[in-house]
Amino acid sequence: MRRILTLALLYGAMQLIIPLDRQHGPGAVTLLTFGFLVLAAYTSGELASLVKLPKITGYLVAGLLFGPAVAGTVTQAATTELDPVSRLAVALIAFLAGAELRWGELKERARTIFTMLGTEMSLSFVGIALVLWIVRAHVPFLQGVSDGQVIVLCALFASVSMVHSPAVTMALLTETRAHGPVARTTLGIVLVADVLVVLVFSAMLTMARAVVPAPGGGPELSAGIIAWEILGALLVGGVLGVAVAIYMRFVQRELLLFAIVVAFFGAEIARLAHVETLLTLLTAGFITENVTKNEEGRELLHAMERSAGPVFVVFFALAGASIHITELAQLWPLALAVVGVRGAMIFTGSRLGARWSGAAPVVRNNVWLGLISQAGVAIGLATILASAYPSRGAEMQTLILSAIAINEIMGQVLFQVALRRSGEIVGEGQSALNPNMTSAVADSHTGSDS
Amino acid sequence: MPAPLLLILAVAVAYLAAHVAFDWLAKRFMLVSGAEYLLLGILLGPHVSGILSAQTMAGFAPLITLALGWIGAIVGTQFYLPALVRISARTYRLGFLEAILTAFMVGGACAGLIWFVTGQGDITQSIAPAVALGAIAAVSAPAGIEVVTRKIGGQREPIVLQLQVATAMDALIGIVTMGLLFCIFHPNDTVAARGVTPTEWAVITLGIGVVGGTLFHLFLGGETNVDRLFISLAGAIILASGAAAYLHLSPVLTSMVVGAVLVNTSGSRPVIANTLAKSERPFYFVLLVFAGASWDPSTVTWWWAVVLVFLVTRVVGKIGTARLGARVNDALPDLGTDWGFALLGQGGLAIALGLDYSRFNAAVLPHAVFTAAIVSVLFTDVGSARIIHAVMSRLRWRRSLDDIPGNPLDTPPVAAAGTRAEDR
Repeated sequence: MRRILTLALLYGAMQLIIPLDRQHGPGAVTLLTFGFLVLAAYTSGELASLVKLPKITGYLVAGLLFGPAVAGTVTQAATTELDPVSRLAVALIAFLAGAELRWGELKERARTIFTMLGTEMSLSFVGIALVLWIVRAHVPFLQGVSDGQVIVLCALFASVSMVHSPAVTMALLTETRAHGPVARTTLGIVLVADVLVVLVFSAMLTMARAVVPAPGGGPELSAGIIAWEILGALLVGGVLGVAVAIYMRFVQRELLLFAIVVAFFGAEIARLAHVETLLTLLTAGFITENVTKNEEGRELLHAMERSAGPVFVVFFALAGASIHITELAQLWPLALAVVGVRGAMIFTGSRLGARWSGAAPVVRNNVWLGLISQAGVAIGLATILASAYPSRGAEMQTLILSAIAINEIMGQVLFQVALRRSGEIVGEGQSALNPNMTSAVADSHTGSDS
Repeated sequence: MPAPLLLILAVAVAYLAAHVAFDWLAKRFMLVSGAEYLLLGILLGPHVSGILSAQTMAGFAPLITLALGWIGAIVGTQFYLPALVRISARTYRLGFLEAILTAFMVGGACAGLIWFVTGQGDITQSIAPAVALGAIAAVSAPAGIEVVTRKIGGQREPIVLQLQVATAMDALIGIVTMGLLFCIFHPNDTVAARGVTPTEWAVITLGIGVVGGTLFHLFLGGETNVDRLFISLAGAIILASGAAAYLHLSPVLTSMVVGAVLVNTSGSRPVIANTLAKSERPFYFVLLVFAGASWDPSTVTWWWAVVLVFLVTRVVGKIGTARLGARVNDALPDLGTDWGFALLGQGGLAIALGLDYSRFNAAVLPHAVFTAAIVSVLFTDVGSARIIHAVMSRLRWRRSLDDIPGNPLDTPPVAAAGTRAEDR
């Protein structure tokens, strides 16, 4: 009841404040919206946890409800102004995700991760491309092109649609404090997939540009550029990681501020150097975690997770606000087909991969549920697509966003089911605390409900 | 260079400057850190190196507003009623008297000067900047007291308590005056059928703070988990500062109310105060660097006359009104005649108020007011701890003389400032 009252008060306060001013300058509404989203989304997260749903679902629903599509409290302009928050969130997520990867553990699970990843991604890619090809007569962006071009565009679409979501995976693992083979294998697959997807997408886009020339479409992509995007990211991330490790070794102060600075700095350097942002931060986190002493690394991660708290809440709320309900209503049959095929391919591919790699039954039966989610990376790639192909790309983007909307909401619920079924959620059959996750941070997401 | 990268560089350099140089200097020579970030901001700003351009600064407006609000909230946490009622009325009287009289003296002198140099036209044009200058003049920095008591002890001495209460009263008077100024001179461009009156703006200002604090209370109640508190605390402060900035009101005042409501209603007062205190330094870094970069000094000569009058009247006001207050309230034996010297340091809050005023879209002479705040901080901050040390040492020396019956000595100690009390 208290939560609902808080939401009502917040909404009422915004309705009172917004009409009181009509000449606010640029940026004036940003902070107001940010504060509103932190409190409203966080309250919705608490409400979601009461009905045993992940808090992220609450954040997304709050974004959707108060966003431009429904109540309109958060306007389209405000969401655009809050773009830097989303960028910061992605950088923080990537760094934290990289820091969750320990070299020893990665080596130990490498066979399972790569086999499962290889099979599920190959099947998803082929499956999605195939289903589009079959229903090509009903797909808007496949009209007016030759058969060969249809195949290339289907492949391009599939390269984006097979993406997973490191953000949702990381956030849910932090929220549930889950630790075990399902959690670790899912995280490993999602993170490595991120690198692979960038490679495949870049290759597909290069090929598509050669076969289906875009009228005035974005910059040319060459093999050299792609190589630099990947190798450069590893290089820049490595240097950043070493610098962070040195700081943690010799200075180790003002960690709250330092954590934000690292994320901002990494993202900006990556942008300036034209290298892949996620991969840069992922590498930096990985290097930091594996180079620093255990306690030093933990302290930084704790500071980073604390400062990331409000940023993550707003990030997911903004993702909810960007769900295009009207487009979803128009394209839902096609979107459902894509979502269905993708889900089926992930299920089949993961199970096959797990069997071939000799993974435990708990991994074989549950990991696929953690691979359904899609969020930031997919949205980012869809945006690149739209800028590369101004007309056709925008139609692709709409379909991709519709599918993401479904996967975004469904994926996290399924992942929580997987973690619960495998008994890896602390307090729900898992007695040992995750030694790699600070309890305070986990508390920040589970809180008093747990 | 892109704006976010500049921000990172600015903060990183500021931090390194503090860590490498000033931490050591502060320990060795009792320097209060703060002015160095301001200087750094000036160096990075559009008028010196141009690294942080005016356009870049505009992009960081929300962050500056948040820093202002955060500092207001930290000030607000000092007003915990059960602790406040244990302090004697005389202590409050003294603090209130010196704050309000100083504000009046500085405000009056500056109003006269501005009216005179601007052609003796509309007096209301002189009042707004003069009130802002008065509000800034009232503010004194508490950092020096902390530095000195950490070094020479004496946390329970009457003068230390008096200084702590006086700086809190100074902050209250300064922030409330500035907040009310925003209400009175509000641009009043609303969609309401009639204009909103200054009283209504004042109620709205307080209302935002109270609603922000109440929301937090409803939100978490007795929660003690630091991370959960941090998220909701940040949310409440961001919302209150954002709402204030959106309505052209003072984010410092609204957030101060949030802070005060929080500590008085939440069962997690120590955790809230601790969480806010831990995040204080980063926000001060950011605020001071941006304040320095936002500074727009002028070549208009009379501006500097205003600054000079501000500085002189403030020094006279602080010392004179403190002495007067102590004499009227029979507090000279406890505080001595010179305790007003210990209130000369200005600190980050003065900068925050100056910056707040300079961003107010109906402000008259915003840059002149901000210049006065900056110059005052640059002049007073570095030596403030040493002055407090000298005042406390002198008082201790006088007390020790009083303990010796018939001691004829009546000369002050030569080496008061900069020497450790326990050495003597």
